[in-house]
Amino acid sequence: MKESYVNLINIRRQVFAKIAKMAYDETDLSELEKSSYEILPGEVAIYRDSIFRERAIVDERLRLTLGLGIRKPTEYHRVTDGISEADVDETQFNEPLVNVITFACEACPTKSFYVTDNCRKCLAHPCTNVCPTNAVSIGKDRANIDQDKCIKCGRCKETCPYSAIVKYERPCAAACGVNAIDSDYLGRAKINPDRCVSCGNCIIQCPYGAISDKSQIYQLIKSLKKNNHMYAIIAPSFLGQFGPLASPVQIFEGIKLLGFEDVVEVSLGADITTLREAKEFLERVPNEHPYMGTSCCNSWTIMVEKLFPDQYKYISDSASPMVETAKYIKSKDPEAIIAFIGPCISKKLEALREDVKDYVHFVITYEELMGMFVAKGIELSEIEVSKEIQDASALGRGYAIAGGVAEAVKDTALKIDPSREINVEGASTLHECMKLMRLAKAGKKNGYLLEGMACSGGCIGGPGTLASINRVRKAVTEFKNQSEYETPFDNKIIEEELRDK
Amino acid sequence: MKVKVCVGSNCTLLGSMGILDQIDDLKDIICEDEDSYSDEELEVEAIKCLGFCKETTDKVAPVVVIDDEPMFNATSQTVMEKIVKKMRK
Repeated sequence: MKESYVNLINIRRQVFAKIAKMAYDETDLSELEKSSYEILPGEVAIYRDSIFRERAIVDERLRLTLGLGIRKPTEYHRVTDGISEADVDETQFNEPLVNVITFACEACPTKSFYVTDNCRKCLAHPCTNVCPTNAVSIGKDRANIDQDKCIKCGRCKETCPYSAIVKYERPCAAACGVNAIDSDYLGRAKINPDRCVSCGNCIIQCPYGAISDKSQIYQLIKSLKKNNHMYAIIAPSFLGQFGPLASPVQIFEGIKLLGFEDVVEVSLGADITTLREAKEFLERVPNEHPYMGTSCCNSWTIMVEKLFPDQYKYISDSASPMVETAKYIKSKDPEAIIAFIGPCISKKLEALREDVKDYVHFVITYEELMGMFVAKGIELSEIEVSKEIQDASALGRGYAIAGGVAEAVKDTALKIDPSREINVEGASTLHECMKLMRLAKAGKKNGYLLEGMACSGGCIGGPGTLASINRVRKAVTEFKNQSEYETPFDNKIIEEELRDK
Repeated sequence: MKVKVCVGSNCTLLGSMGILDQIDDLKDIICEDEDSYSDEELEVEAIKCLGFCKETTDKVAPVVVIDDEPMFNATSQTVMEKIVKKMRK
């Protein structure tokens, strides 16, 4: 989430709260036609040129939040078209996860350098002298860049003494580390499904709020109303997300008030993943595999699978913390229906995988959960409860912050075999992940444990967060220090066989 | 000067933590420029839901209270402007 995009946050979250309220109140879904009028009342546009366009965009957001696809702007469809598909109590999902609302996209120009009013046509004009393609000339009012010749090296920008040359980039494309944003025939953003890894960074970076993922909150609430044995598992980055007055245990109790039987920290699964990955690393690297990549970030693993297919086998086989936590619950309650709550939208895809779908049934973000709290009128800070949460070790709780996964796996591996020397390298944006994989592919990271994370700063910088990264980093560190267990070996919840060194 | 920012569910959903972050940054700006601002301390507090949003169907969140005067539909921009106006010498 980008906190300074206040208007966009408001539109997005009001839609979450609205859909959650409809689910809790069991409102007939034909009422959906009115919803955009309730969210945007009056006849004066607040956000765009016209209230009708604003409402049409909100209509698409309502549909996506129900898990439905975007309507084709070229065909007549009611906002409620296909609604019976969504009116069920299990996840209904059709690709793609990340969607451009085409008529919300303002078709920003693609990456270019251009000269602003700051230009004084100076005598030295170093901009022309450094250009390797002779694309810069001095015009009547200012320097000109011939866009056909320009190779976008940026040297003119660097040398200009008046800061007169700026780099202009489409925010969605700039945020995309895997170069998955193309343009349609009107110059609007179009996502290339062969490259997109559903990290969600374009969603939070688009200043027009034109990109959105799909949600499962409606179906989750229906399931909560119908089924017992509902469990929530919450990612290690949940600390501080729901306001500075909501304590970890109040968050857990608040989630139970939504209809869940119990809540478990995904950091428990992180402990299990750590133990498995540590053993896997010691066994395989360097004899079987030249290096090992961590497996917990789904966008990172999809990126390797799609863009470095010959390297995919070097990504750890160990299941992610989400899956391990769900497996733990399933072992205790075979009838469990499990919802993962996290900062991540990519997990929505991970949960659909053949080997995961029987364990994780729903995936929602913190933002979506907050919409549910509001719909249900739950005030977390007013819940009276005095308990301690002790599901996981300090190392497991550290998974949320970039570097935390590799640290945990390395520390754990060294406890098993102190004689080994383990090199670690991490990347925490997709741009960095791509660079790291190129080096790994070239054989420059042999013997390494590579931690890949798609979001800047790690999971605490995920698209589904509510609180700023600094706020969450502080809260996660504090919670980490409160753990009774230092390492996964001390975590008594985990079966002894796995903890055996 | 006392600034209370509601961090109840509704206000948190609609960005009250962002307002808190912005006021925290503003403190640095004020501290660095002692000559322009009064020495009065800027006290910021996150508070529980005051119930304004529950008494009405109008949209009021986020709510910020500056020296006992409530501001509805607060944005960091309007809140900071008010703080700066009150604190500037």
